[in-house]
Amino acid sequence: MKHRIAAALAFAFLATGAAAATKGIDLPPDGAQLKASPLPGYQKAQAHCVACHSAEYMLYQPASAPRPYWEAMVKRMQAVFKAPVPEEDMPAIVDYLVKTYGNEQAR
Amino acid sequence: MDPQDKTSRRRLLAAGAGVIATTAFGRAFAQDVNLPFANGQRKLVAYPEKRPLIVLTSRPPQLETPWEVFNEGVITPNDAFFVRYHNAGLPGPIDGDQHAIRIGGNAVAKPFSLTVAQLRSEFKPVELVAVNQCSGNSRGLFAPRVQGGQLANGAMGNARWAGVPLKDVLARAEPSDRARQVTFDGLDVALFGGGDFVKALDMGHAMDGEVMIAYQMNGADLPFLNGFPVRLIVPGHYGTYWVKHLSAIEVVDREYDGFWMKPAYRIPDNACACVEPGTAPAATRPIGRFNVRSFITSVNDGARVRAGAPLAVRGIAFDGGLGIREVAWSADGGQSWREARLGPDPGRYSFREFTFGFTPAAGAHDLRVRAWNRAGHSQPMEALWNPAGYMRNVVESVKVTAA
Repeated sequence: MKHRIAAALAFAFLATGAAAATKGIDLPPDGAQLKASPLPGYQKAQAHCVACHSAEYMLYQPASAPRPYWEAMVKRMQAVFKAPVPEEDMPAIVDYLVKTYGNEQAR
Repeated sequence: MDPQDKTSRRRLLAAGAGVIATTAFGRAFAQDVNLPFANGQRKLVAYPEKRPLIVLTSRPPQLETPWEVFNEGVITPNDAFFVRYHNAGLPGPIDGDQHAIRIGGNAVAKPFSLTVAQLRSEFKPVELVAVNQCSGNSRGLFAPRVQGGQLANGAMGNARWAGVPLKDVLARAEPSDRARQVTFDGLDVALFGGGDFVKALDMGHAMDGEVMIAYQMNGADLPFLNGFPVRLIVPGHYGTYWVKHLSAIEVVDREYDGFWMKPAYRIPDNACACVEPGTAPAATRPIGRFNVRSFITSVNDGARVRAGAPLAVRGIAFDGGLGIREVAWSADGGQSWREARLGPDPGRYSFREFTFGFTPAAGAHDLRVRAWNRAGHSQPMEALWNPAGYMRNVVESVKVTAA
């Protein structure tokens, strides 16, 4: 009888789906770093951009991405995501981004 | 090497080898893949519970499914299913039984909290095979190019989801007549508190009986990166609504206008959801249902095949939930068409397999497939364009050479 109850319970357990375990996550390290540059915005981008997200966000944009795109992105990070990017650092960061990843790259 | 050469070389690499090992010493398991557009070189990395996938971004993780997976069958394995986060604040360890979803908002009479264990035991479970597809799937193929996540065609997948109808959970909270929309939030957060990923559905949609809170995917717990332990399933609708690590649901008496509903994830408010390349839409609406798509999966663009030998071709088609009625194929760039055979029907939200065979004469062949759904909706022969790079569904071209 005991066995039958145990079997029935086991069946009920399976039928409702096995209980989920605890899961966490450890992410692998970033697969890309910002491209080094003598432009003053490089260090500022290191401090303010990749603190939150990896550098593929810049690296994989089409090389046609114009200055207004990079301006809009940096402003969005500050206005929408509340990234503490100092106002006075923003022009240098945009300049580094468009000249390193966008349509003002040296060819 | 001029840009044209570069592009054709990339296409060749993508088509031929599919995956090429990097030569860097000490990175034995790191591999690269070349997506078929400029600046399309990507790394393949195995994240927890995942096989090596195409890394669009490392942090937060955005992983694309390698194309060859779609030729393995109409169900996308959990370890190959694409991943898309918006914010880098991923949750810590989550107890798959005790994790709770709060159901509240200003348009319910009885707010309550529900653990996943209760969700499994107190509601009638349902199952559904459904495609999830990123709004920006195939964005990298837009011409002219648009900014954003530069994906090829692999930000989609098809799984058997098990869970509970959202309708049944909402009913327990006793929504009032004032209910207009339902918002969904997950445990992932934005690092500085702005731009938390919250999405909204109209009340009628949320109560349609098909929208589901899923706790299983292909018979197993959800992988962490696909939303463990529970995510929203919105059949036929773009992945942006499929909120992961679901933790809060609010029924509200207004239209929710957070960043991820407005201005993000919006399409031109016209029939084609498109505008002239380079122009901005006059008005926009939130992105909604998938349009019709079809893909050849068994032959890659740029492949070399044997002349005079029968070639069996296979692929997949899907739409926003009416179901695929017909797939036609062409070997001459769309000049003439014949009907492909449809495979078994796993449900109107699923990938549908199709097959056809032909014997190529020596020379170049431009293979195309085009699907129709049960309302007669199909795919354009020329790509449509919108500034966000959403909803690409052009009839794709797979060029092969027979020798």
